[in-house]
Amino acid sequence: MALLEVKNLDVRFAVRGGDLKALRKISFSLDKGERLGLVGESGAGKSVAAFSILNLIARPGYIAGGEILFEGKNLAAMSDRELRKIRGNRIAMIFQDPMMTLNPVLTIGNQMVEALKAHRRISTRAARQIALDRLKQVQIPSPDKRLDQYPHELSGGMRQRVIIAIALLLDPEIIIADEPTTALDVTIQAEIMALLLELCEQRNVALMLITHDLGVVSQVTQNMLVMYAGRIIEQGPTKEIINDAQHPYTQGLINALPQMGEPGRRLYQIPGAMPSLNRIPSGCPFHPRCQFATDLCKQEMPEYVTSGNVDVACHEVRKLIEEEQQQREMTS
Amino acid sequence: MNAPAKPLVEIRDLEKRFDLSGNFLEQLRFRNGRFTRHQEYVHAINGVNLEVQKGEALCVVGESGCGKSTVARTVMGLLSPSGGEIHYDGQRIDDLDGKTVLPYRRKMQMIFQNPYASLNPRMTIQQTLEEPIRFHHPDWNRQTVQDKVYDVMQSVGIDPDWGKRFGHEFSGGQRQRIAIARALAVDPEFIVADEPISALDVSIQAQVLNLMMDAQEDRGLTYLFITHDLSVVEHFGTRVAVMYLGTVCELADTKTLFDSPRHPYTQALLSAIPRLEDDRPNHIRLHGEVSTPVNLPSGCVFHGRCPYANERCRTEVPNLIATDGGAQVACHAVEEGRL
Repeated sequence: MALLEVKNLDVRFAVRGGDLKALRKISFSLDKGERLGLVGESGAGKSVAAFSILNLIARPGYIAGGEILFEGKNLAAMSDRELRKIRGNRIAMIFQDPMMTLNPVLTIGNQMVEALKAHRRISTRAARQIALDRLKQVQIPSPDKRLDQYPHELSGGMRQRVIIAIALLLDPEIIIADEPTTALDVTIQAEIMALLLELCEQRNVALMLITHDLGVVSQVTQNMLVMYAGRIIEQGPTKEIINDAQHPYTQGLINALPQMGEPGRRLYQIPGAMPSLNRIPSGCPFHPRCQFATDLCKQEMPEYVTSGNVDVACHEVRKLIEEEQQQREMTS
Repeated sequence: MNAPAKPLVEIRDLEKRFDLSGNFLEQLRFRNGRFTRHQEYVHAINGVNLEVQKGEALCVVGESGCGKSTVARTVMGLLSPSGGEIHYDGQRIDDLDGKTVLPYRRKMQMIFQNPYASLNPRMTIQQTLEEPIRFHHPDWNRQTVQDKVYDVMQSVGIDPDWGKRFGHEFSGGQRQRIAIARALAVDPEFIVADEPISALDVSIQAQVLNLMMDAQEDRGLTYLFITHDLSVVEHFGTRVAVMYLGTVCELADTKTLFDSPRHPYTQALLSAIPRLEDDRPNHIRLHGEVSTPVNLPSGCVFHGRCPYANERCRTEVPNLIATDGGAQVACHAVEEGRL
């Protein structure tokens, strides 16, 4: 059984004039120690997906349907009290902006001790010892000094290291990292990503990495999901998707990267922009931007087809696969 | 380098300091029974020399706090330099007064990072685009101005019928197109673009980059392109200047820099780009804390994080020196042949 299994998750935002469908029938699973990437542009719903796993969706958002099974128990149906035992303890989160996550008026040490005491019966001294230990593991120079410092005394990269140390405090099974390096410089980003990867491997922690950076995903994760307008449009092993993307949107995203183009030449570009939630097109949400779109794409939402180890939601890919099969049958 | 007779823009020994210490009273400190005066500066740029040749795209890369945006703003005259000179087409422009600098302002335009902040929310797109034209061509009649706006909107792929709309009605990519249209409206020769695509989504970044390259081809523009994203530089830049803590540490042709980076910082920076292919050797991990431009380190600004630093690096500031590969590198280790 998978450690975490999300089945047909629907998340909506109740606003004037009806519900906005932020997530539409999302399904995926995460095994122990697996590293999964969630890719998409802003507005694709990747952060909503991450937040809804721990039921952190604030009003007017709500989970309208589906199940989030963690070790067989449905997180979507749990009370706040039960959830609190899981949040931070079994499933930890790392957010984009470390300055927003750390409390500016508490020292690093106090915040770490507080988190430990919330979940375990432990003396302050023992808690401080664990905190110190974790700070050492994230390779912070002079960790004993950092315990008594305030967040504003640390640089951005250091703060994100502290956040990782806090996420690891209670030995969680899953870490959900929402754009953990977006606010950082490239060299610092590389350091932090390498550290996160190392720690997850060492402790066999599953990592769910939410990012818009395909480069990071291709280096860190084993499997990935591509999201567009609240739907997963392609999912499977990262290598297969990066090397041979099936969905036209994924292909476009990869080809639009400057490193894929010839220097000095025009880049491949996907026309248009991601639709906003109140104007999601009928049928396949990508059809207005897709060069292969047919009448069928405008009317009908595509179901998933399997190509190799990759699941794709695209009518054209299905057609291609069916044609191939027919040909094979003809020859045999 | 392959220097033609005269560069379009020349930056000489540019320095910029920002005073952090406030007014005279705020500078006073009382310590050990006596008053002392305490002053503190951010040393944003420390002696930068750059030449931008006509028709090229010179990219300035570096991490946050390295002074790249300050260079852009100082060149545009939005900040006045603390030292050094800026020349445009052979004429010194940093000491001109408001009136004499006007013709240069028309020739030099700027595109900013955040299209959500750089468009006035209370002006329609038509007004936004008309303003610079009216300002620089007060003698043009209404029809000419409107025709110009129509043309420039079309050239950036914005429907001219949308002129009555306000900035908030557009998506990020469209706003950046409008910001580019505003820069192009007065037919500039030289455009400073300060991180023009870093606030945009991947698929939109490609659209805006293409637009900027098209504009360069059609109008013969010269760019000073500020960015932290090296993969964009590789695609877009003619030459690259890598900055660290207010100094240029390497300056080279794009191809030379990406094929054989010389400066240890450039090497680390290049190895840190997350690329799609994963069979690459591991990136170079830097250690040590990033210094701040308030307390500049002595000697080479990079020595605290440099794996090759020795005694000389800690005391003596390296100068940009031409290497046989065609690159200019400011590093003692490269100069001595240790690297």
